[in-house]
Amino acid sequence: MRKLFTLVTFALLFALLLAACGGQEEEPGATTNGEEPIVGETAEAEPEVDEEPTEEPMEEEPAAGDCASDDVFCVGLVTDVGQIDDRSFNQSAWEGVQQTQEELDAQIDFVETANATDYAANIDLFAGSGYDVIVTVGFALGEATIQAAAQYPEIDFIGVDQFVGPEGPEGWEGDWPPANLSGLIFPEDQSGFLAGALAGMMTESNTIAAVLGTDLVPPVVAFKEGYEGGARYVNEDIEIISTYHPGGLDQAFTDPGWGADTARQALDQGADVVFGAGGNTGNGALGEVANHEGAYCIGVDTDQWETVPAAQPCLITSAMKLITPGVFDLVSASRDGNFPAGNYVGEVGLAPFHDFEDDVPQEVKDRLEEIRVGLESGEVETGYNPGG
Amino acid sequence: MTVRNSPVAEVARRIWRSASIPLGSVLLALLIGAILLLISGASPLEAYRALFRGSFGDARAIGRTLEKATPLVFSGLAVAFAFKAGLFNIGAQGQLIFGAVTAAAIGFMIEGLPPLVHAPLALLGGALAGALFGAIPGMLKTYTGAHEVITTIMLNYVAINFTDYLANGPLKDPTPGNIVARTPAIEASARIPALGSIPIGFIIALAVAAATWWLLWHTTIGYEIRTVGLNPAAARYAGMRVSLTIILTMALSGLMAGMGGAVETLGIVGRFQPGFNVGLGFDGITIALLGKTHPLGVIPAALLVGAMRAGSSQMQFDANVATEIIDVILAIILFFVAAETIMRWILRTRAVSEEKVTLSTGWGQQ
Repeated sequence: MRKLFTLVTFALLFALLLAACGGQEEEPGATTNGEEPIVGETAEAEPEVDEEPTEEPMEEEPAAGDCASDDVFCVGLVTDVGQIDDRSFNQSAWEGVQQTQEELDAQIDFVETANATDYAANIDLFAGSGYDVIVTVGFALGEATIQAAAQYPEIDFIGVDQFVGPEGPEGWEGDWPPANLSGLIFPEDQSGFLAGALAGMMTESNTIAAVLGTDLVPPVVAFKEGYEGGARYVNEDIEIISTYHPGGLDQAFTDPGWGADTARQALDQGADVVFGAGGNTGNGALGEVANHEGAYCIGVDTDQWETVPAAQPCLITSAMKLITPGVFDLVSASRDGNFPAGNYVGEVGLAPFHDFEDDVPQEVKDRLEEIRVGLESGEVETGYNPGG
Repeated sequence: MTVRNSPVAEVARRIWRSASIPLGSVLLALLIGAILLLISGASPLEAYRALFRGSFGDARAIGRTLEKATPLVFSGLAVAFAFKAGLFNIGAQGQLIFGAVTAAAIGFMIEGLPPLVHAPLALLGGALAGALFGAIPGMLKTYTGAHEVITTIMLNYVAINFTDYLANGPLKDPTPGNIVARTPAIEASARIPALGSIPIGFIIALAVAAATWWLLWHTTIGYEIRTVGLNPAAARYAGMRVSLTIILTMALSGLMAGMGGAVETLGIVGRFQPGFNVGLGFDGITIALLGKTHPLGVIPAALLVGAMRAGSSQMQFDANVATEIIDVILAIILFFVAAETIMRWILRTRAVSEEKVTLSTGWGQQ
């Protein structure tokens, strides 16, 4: 009897706790209806996701119900496996979406993916609620995004880093590429090329290095090939020490210890410029180089001057792919009714030199500009030729 | 007085004694989770309602829960089975992945087979691959005394890197425009479909769990395995072939894990792609412990974890709860279930008489 009593007490306590709480949540951009205590669980009817009665005394969900209506513009984002604030990919894409909230008055929301098998279900959460644009981040979501585009032709899909191939998947019916699918891709090799050229010109020991995530991720390979190409373009007999993380996908970007060790090894072998391209693994390399005098480090994806302050002592630049403006531009295009189907090539470039502005000689800057123009016009080729 | 001692009451008492701990743990963990949710600014009611909706709310949600539970049943079985022989199979992940890539290979390389032949063939191929890979640490332990904890962990790395190499190299999808490291999609004839919203893979998992239970408690081999697990010296004294048993157990354990990988590939993913089977093998350890290392106990454990994972996205979407909170709640559940003593003290429950399970034997013991 005693155990039964204890267990029942737990259950009652639990129910009481659940019932007594509500109306606490503050959501930026959503209004709260003021808090009213709910008596027991029977006080409110089960709310449907698609309608939200205005008398609802519970906390306000971010007006998800309105998305089905035509005059509310809703933008959703599904991350790759990882967090929204990973200071990298997912975050850059989300910042683009946040910009649409400010400038286009969009209602936004995101879902973090815990497991690759959840991609389709997570996309469905937004699609089933009448969202207008859905951004999926990362090449791994490519397949799921294509399927969703077929299933929901009225929704525009933006696939960050998802290359839209010349043919659809087997069994595809209808136009290819579908009008509601846009693959936001970046010529990472060009970004890496510029970084490599800078490294090649700034190095004094004639040895540079790259600490990379895994070769399973196409953009990382592109960065690396570009980096090596750019360095050799300005300095034919430069020595380059490039190292990929040896582990699997679940480790390769979250191993700053290995990144730091590999950077130290490269420095020991005489490298004085180290390119860190691999999420948190790369960040470990940047941090290690920052502790050494006389070596530069180069970041990746975004301007890591802000996101990795520990790297500032050495961070001469970052090889960026401008995801945030890319996402914003595509969402705006969708809003304006001219959504570009197929591949949409975003911009790449080098981040500002910050504190190293004066360290970089004018002729180096001029040469970089020359190369940049050449890359854009096609005169200069990085030599990176993936797939197909 | 008669009612209290009736056989029905006895069965009920026994079920109560085994189930009260996990039940109490779950409730307590949800309670603590509710407090955490409050602190983080979300409403526990909204959150748990969303969790329920996402895992059991409609047919599709139930389907998702079962889909997530299926590989967990297999890997949980693999680890639990090994535990019965006193072996700690941390290599379920590697065995699972080998099973997955083999099933994918059979799935896409062979064309023109009828579904009733192709799918079982791929499934068996994956199971066999897992079995062979699992036999390796078994043989190493038998012939060199190498502890399976070390060898299985190391072999995991071998499996992960080798399959990554396959997916990025010899088996890479040659579709024009594809740059991702993955195999081509398997043929439609190799797919394992669902019956309505119930994945057939889950039914296979249930069958394998039942078969494992029957093997362990109703066959001679099972008896040998359990004896070796309880006391290898006594087993040897009784004339049992301990070495063979160890190898066989590891092979069967690998077979179950490999089958899990195969089912996941043939039923859910449709190809082999690195990043799509992450963690399933290691979850098996958790599931096995949650299920008290009993083949049938693995099933509710897998359903619990599967439900939580299936519902977590809905929790995020409906109630804006961070995924970390869900992970914490799950961890607390595991903590309380594993820390039985605490729960027993709280509930003043007497322990059911059960076999002690050896989780790991010492070094150099044979």
